[in-house]
Amino acid sequence: MEQVLTILIADDNPSDRILLKAILSQLGHKVVVAIDGQDAIDKFDPKAIQLVCLDIKMPLKNGWETASEIQQIAGDVFVPIVFLSGISDPIALSKCLRIGGIDFISKPYSPALITAKLNAIVKLLVMQKTLEEQRDAMSLYNEQLLHDQEVAKVVYENITHSNCLEDPALSTIHYGTHTFNGDVILAAYKPNGGMHLLLGDFTGHGLSAAIGALPLADIFFDWTKKGFLMRQIIPEINARLKGILPANMFCSAVFIDVKVNNNSIEVWNGGLPDLLFFSESSEQPMRFASKNLPLGVLSPEAFECQIDPMNFAPGDRLMAFSDGVYEALGLSGEMFCHSVLNPLYRGEIEADKATDWLVEQLKNEGVLENPHDDISCLNIRLDTNIGIDSLERDVPKRHHEAPANFSFEYVLYADSLRNTDPLPYVLQILTTVPGLSSFSSQIFMILSELYSNALEHGVLQLDSAKKNSSEGFSQYYDERERRLSNLVDGYVKISIKVTSDNNQRVLVLYVEDSGSGFDYQKVNYDISNTELLYNRGLALLDQLCSKLEFSKGGSAVTAHYHWQVGLTN
Amino acid sequence: MVESFFNKKSGCLTIRIEGRFDYSCHKTFKEAFMNTVGVTSCDVDLSRVTYLDSSALGMLLLLRDYTGGDKANIRLIHANDAAIDILKIANFHRLFVITE
Repeated sequence: MEQVLTILIADDNPSDRILLKAILSQLGHKVVVAIDGQDAIDKFDPKAIQLVCLDIKMPLKNGWETASEIQQIAGDVFVPIVFLSGISDPIALSKCLRIGGIDFISKPYSPALITAKLNAIVKLLVMQKTLEEQRDAMSLYNEQLLHDQEVAKVVYENITHSNCLEDPALSTIHYGTHTFNGDVILAAYKPNGGMHLLLGDFTGHGLSAAIGALPLADIFFDWTKKGFLMRQIIPEINARLKGILPANMFCSAVFIDVKVNNNSIEVWNGGLPDLLFFSESSEQPMRFASKNLPLGVLSPEAFECQIDPMNFAPGDRLMAFSDGVYEALGLSGEMFCHSVLNPLYRGEIEADKATDWLVEQLKNEGVLENPHDDISCLNIRLDTNIGIDSLERDVPKRHHEAPANFSFEYVLYADSLRNTDPLPYVLQILTTVPGLSSFSSQIFMILSELYSNALEHGVLQLDSAKKNSSEGFSQYYDERERRLSNLVDGYVKISIKVTSDNNQRVLVLYVEDSGSGFDYQKVNYDISNTELLYNRGLALLDQLCSKLEFSKGGSAVTAHYHWQVGLTN
Repeated sequence: MVESFFNKKSGCLTIRIEGRFDYSCHKTFKEAFMNTVGVTSCDVDLSRVTYLDSSALGMLLLLRDYTGGDKANIRLIHANDAAIDILKIANFHRLFVITE
């Protein structure tokens, strides 16, 4: 800032006025003179004047009145006011300072004193100007930051919300402490019916916590759509997060697989509070405790997947929540997990009202007004139709439906049966067939049903009648794991053939296993018969396929699937 | 509040946290192990911790990473019930030796 000031002086005494003007002009400043208070107000322009000197005793308007009017005109702009006075009454002088003057100069004028005071005022003005510039820069920066955050938030929400959270089976609560939320809830329909769900809680809050959600959501949606299984998706997410997040950041999460073909769920919990499973058959909710390290902590080699299976009856419910709920501090100063949540754990809250109840508690205990952590909760009403209706909602893609004919065979032996899931790869080849991609959900459902029958009942000789009770159910899965890891001989052969004849297209899926077959004459194809859990799969297949036939004593099955070009379901 | 003590003979660095173990300890906790040379093992004394959150877990992982990852020799000592509860949910007993 230049040291030359424009100074307004107001004094009704002409000789004092001329003397002061001379002194100030000699110091190099520009001077505007006024003959009384009103004249000063008229000549005051906050954009041009940097300093105002007012005589206290003036006709019409005295110095004090003039000062307050000038301050009003100046508004936000800081214009220092100095009073000129021949009086030495301390009360009058202190009033000058009280109403906003920064100093006073007493008469008769001493050029040395005026020079010293003006230097001090110049310094003050320079400082004030710097502060104002910094303040403006800061508020501009803040505005930009908020704008950037808003843009980023839209992108973030598009990625993390491109899901099926609006499904009537789900209810969620989601409160963030910042623009960005470090908690994510993701839900996606699987191509063969059912649903994948993920509730994740990243270390910390705000943008730095939210940024990890992008790759997480990306893998979750992409891999679910392609038909990968939960136990394939989780290690992939872990590896990706481990690779990109700094060492002190990770994601505590639960992953839930709702399987509608056999009325079961699988739960993976890594670092979140116990999930609660509410079932008709027990008074207290069952708990799924965390058995895994959070995602992004372990290297891919050290990562293990501890998954808990459980079968459900329609109407059972599963509830999961983040640390923000579990560790919330109630009015009593105690954490929720030791106080407020107890009735929930004891089964005193009805499962279908649990989410509303929880919101009520969070409100009553003052947590929602002042949350210390992001808060999320997910409640699922389990049913056998989850994700089934969505199969019909698939939007058909209009390819040029050129004819296709090809066939291939994929045989998996013991090691590959143990370590590979062939279905996403087979599906990928099939969806290259023009027109077939719009039926991919149904095809995937048929394929996965045939493959799991061949593997579990054919190769591993597991008896599906076991799955009818809940103990039997987890035994069944333990046994499946055990037999699979001990498997030495055995195979599953998948043969695919696609043919085209005018507008008719035919897909033939042939699946054969090394098992001893079964009595396929006794299969009950009545889908309404829900008594027999394990036959529902075949009954469903029978409806989807135009023909389903067994051979080789039940160890081989052929499914025919027909479609017409130009038509979609 | 974070205090640390380094035993040059044994190479053991003891870090003690008092009160809330959360992001506010971040700077001092990091300095405690980054500014010490010749650390072969580390004891994190949790006896006076009243609360620990996920950024505290993150800091422990940072310490583990800095002192050798899978080869790190870190004990979390005198952990009280509240701390153990949170460490257990995160399955940190697989990464650290935890004692009461």
